[in-house]
Amino acid sequence: MQKNTLNSKRNLIGWVFIIPAFLLIVMMYFYPMIKALILSFYSGVGANFKFVGISNYIHMFKDKVFMQALKNTFLYLIVQVPIMLMVALILATLLNDKTLKLKGLYRTAIFLPCATSLVSYAIIFRSIFAVDGIINLVLIKVGILETGYNFLAHPISARIVIIIALLWRWTGYNMVFFLAGLQGIDPAVYEAAKIDGASSIQSFFKVTVPLLKPTLILTAIISINGTLQLFDESVNLTYGGPANSTITMTHYIYDVSFKYVPNFGYAAAMAYLILVIVAILSFIQLKVGDKRE
Amino acid sequence: MNKFERKMKYFVLTVASIISVFPLYWMAISATNKSADILAGKMIPGRFALENFRNLVNTYNIGKAMTNSIKYSVLMTLASLIICSLAGYGFEIYHDKVKDKVMSILLLALMVPFVAILIPLFQMMSKLELLNTSLGFMLPTISTPFLIMLFRQNTKAFPYEIVEAARIDGCSELKIFVKFFIPTMKSTFAAAIIITFMNAWNSYLWPKVIMQTDESITMPILVASLKDGYFTDYGMLMLAVLLCTMPTVLFFFFLQKQFAEGIAGSVK
Amino acid sequence: MKSKILTSFLAISLSLSLVACGGGSNNTDSSGTSTDASKSITKVEEGSEQNSDGEENSLTVWCWDPAFNIYSMDEAAKVYQQENPDFELNVIENSWDDIQTKLATAAVSGDLSTLPDIVLLNDNAIQKYVTTYPDLFESLENSGIDFANFGDSKCAYSVIDNNHYAVPFDNGAVIACYRTDILAEAGYTIEDFTDITWDEFIEKGKVVLEKTGKPMFSTQAGASDIILMMLQSAGASMFDENGNPNMVNNSVLYEVMENYESLVTNGILLEMSSWDQYIGSFTNSNVCSVINGCWIMASIQTAEDQSGKWAITNMPRLNNAENASNYSNNGGSSWAVLSSCKNKDLAYDFLGKTFAGSVEFYETILPKSGALATYLPAKDSDVYAQPHEFFSGESVFAKITEFAGKVPSNNTGVYYYEARDAIATAVTNVISGSDIDTELKAAEETVRFSMGQ
Repeated sequence: MQKNTLNSKRNLIGWVFIIPAFLLIVMMYFYPMIKALILSFYSGVGANFKFVGISNYIHMFKDKVFMQALKNTFLYLIVQVPIMLMVALILATLLNDKTLKLKGLYRTAIFLPCATSLVSYAIIFRSIFAVDGIINLVLIKVGILETGYNFLAHPISARIVIIIALLWRWTGYNMVFFLAGLQGIDPAVYEAAKIDGASSIQSFFKVTVPLLKPTLILTAIISINGTLQLFDESVNLTYGGPANSTITMTHYIYDVSFKYVPNFGYAAAMAYLILVIVAILSFIQLKVGDKRE
Repeated sequence: MNKFERKMKYFVLTVASIISVFPLYWMAISATNKSADILAGKMIPGRFALENFRNLVNTYNIGKAMTNSIKYSVLMTLASLIICSLAGYGFEIYHDKVKDKVMSILLLALMVPFVAILIPLFQMMSKLELLNTSLGFMLPTISTPFLIMLFRQNTKAFPYEIVEAARIDGCSELKIFVKFFIPTMKSTFAAAIIITFMNAWNSYLWPKVIMQTDESITMPILVASLKDGYFTDYGMLMLAVLLCTMPTVLFFFFLQKQFAEGIAGSVK
Repeated sequence: MKSKILTSFLAISLSLSLVACGGGSNNTDSSGTSTDASKSITKVEEGSEQNSDGEENSLTVWCWDPAFNIYSMDEAAKVYQQENPDFELNVIENSWDDIQTKLATAAVSGDLSTLPDIVLLNDNAIQKYVTTYPDLFESLENSGIDFANFGDSKCAYSVIDNNHYAVPFDNGAVIACYRTDILAEAGYTIEDFTDITWDEFIEKGKVVLEKTGKPMFSTQAGASDIILMMLQSAGASMFDENGNPNMVNNSVLYEVMENYESLVTNGILLEMSSWDQYIGSFTNSNVCSVINGCWIMASIQTAEDQSGKWAITNMPRLNNAENASNYSNNGGSSWAVLSSCKNKDLAYDFLGKTFAGSVEFYETILPKSGALATYLPAKDSDVYAQPHEFFSGESVFAKITEFAGKVPSNNTGVYYYEARDAIATAVTNVISGSDIDTELKAAEETVRFSMGQ
């Protein structure tokens, strides 16, 4: 009996901890989200809206640019996210070594890209991949190419440049979470694995990966979400080109809202599609990985 | 670990570091060159740092932008960290079915593309008369599902025995959080501080929409306006970009040591 | 030790944020002037009658580019203050992207209180904004401003239903700038490239390429600037008079596309993958000419060592198009008065006596900013006749103002940006081997789709 009241009291305290964050999210995310949902059933130019039912949702599947954007975004998602998380995890594991020298410098260096301003890295990525840029110079020297290749002028290579840019920028960012997560693993576990004769690679897959599952889920959800809302690289690095072959969904939504004749109803509908996709993907992630014992 | 493995380790880390640092190096070099040299791909330091700086200071109120950016980012980080760490802790330590459900609902908020809620948010702030205020600027991003989730996921590694032991000692629930949770989870807090500070520092679209005066200019806004004219002075731009990047980098450098210290030290 | 630092940091932050949360009023105070400013603006709106001093005599302006637009606005204020010493002008820097975002946000949310009195608009966007948000802008028909002093083609950007909606400002007249030293290597002079057709340009370009190894000019790949300049040079547009897309059977557009393709395949036009590389292509002497709006001169002049080696003339004209001319326009902007403006008469008077009425004002801003006027009376001024050392000692400003007067006007169209992007896609695909007819058809479909047709 006493235990029950104690439990319910703690339960209440738990809610007190949660409430401020909860209320803010409801006000700042859910309320505008509902407004946006309502808006997505309206259409019209500028500020004159009329109810159109689900026609915005039908419209977007006929919209070639949006479909292209959807394809591009998924390509980035499928190729870039797994590579990035893997590399981040490896780097974090390498850095999580008490005997390593210059740890601080390595850590800061690898984290740096996500702090580097987009303006400067867009300029430098474009000049690195330019026809007379350093990549072409190397490829010609090595003998792979005969003349400079204009990476940003061709659909496939332009997408690869975007993926490389994303890897470069966000790997260190994700590494930070893995580093934080690795602190939760008792070094004794590694000792035990070593005694059992596991190699570093084995203990990476048998010990590190399973124990970091909560962090892996977190970073996976963040990355999926970030990639589906990708905007900066498309706008600044390739301007969505050539011929919309690198444009992302959020970039197109922004254009429809602010660059073109504004149609906020249609923009809201497209944004909702993104939301539904991320929600499904995240739900799967959580179901697969977040089982409590 | 054998010698070869050790060498490989250093090699991989060094290569990764060089690739990561190169654009920053280029940015720093460019800040000392003039526009035409930068576009010509000059990679060695020039003599124009002072001139670029003079141009920048004469054209823009960079002092104001720096102060504003620091003020907003620090306030935002503090508020955000407290509210979200409490929530993340609450969701995990006191978890039950209802709270788990609430958490998954909150996660939905993570998936809202910001462009979609920009207009409704602006309407709300205008009704609350919060346009042009720092409160209006900060409110939407103080509580983020991402940070709550970070704390909640990492709390999974926080030994529940500590909570139980502290309760037996008669600690209040809040005291357990402050005295045991915060020191134990310092690597998580360090990560959260860096990420939140960086996001606040770089936030652009929302402050631009809601802050309408020259007084409220921030560093990213200043950088953006530098390349908006008919003519871009790349030397000046690179200097501004460098100044805009340094705080986050320094912040990281001084906090990153926390990552290396595990759960062990303060608990056992 | 380290853990202590972090713990104390967090402890401090906890207490600080409690202070911040508790003292909400303090918090707004610390945001200081911004809050105060917004309050005082609201005050003006509520009771401009009572507010006899100061506020009644002030205007707020949004524009971008400190070296150009903002500088010009500040100088205009000084000119106006000579007669109205109490006049105050508050210029707030906003990038063009931000102005677009803010206008749309304010219009859709219905809260116009945050908008300024005067805003600078890119010429290409004026049709779109006035048509989409008719309640946001003020017609200038009864403002007393004499629009006859501006070129017709420039005014055409801001005339909607026979109403003027903006005071024209800077000039986007297209100039062709040539490196005379490189031309000389191939045996040409600037005269050989004056008043010519694109066919002639291509023939001579081939010679230059062969003898010097340098392409004639460059552009940013995936941008449709060159296409649209060529199109306007014949008075043609991507839209018909009713505002419907006109691409498939548009013979001028077809010719323009053919031209562009031939320029690229002959190696005469170099496509650069970004704006910065485009600028670099001529500051690094990789090409021997630049064809763009006259504002590009500021970028050309960053290559100080090339001073005296450049000369300016008109652009080539289309070979077959009926109204082909050697003049066109790219870029430029105009000042619009917003309907939320509380001092409309003051705004009209200010614009009328400066941007639309003072040669002296244009003489002041030209030397420092290079801001070329579309205000025709300014072109006879002595300042405009000054020789320009960088450009072979010619009086280039008078020349460009003369060009501006000859630019054919065309229909921008409300859906200009949609069409512009669709054409850019079409050009990219044509260059990678697709045929022009297919691509124009696809472009027109894309635009019609956006228009809901």
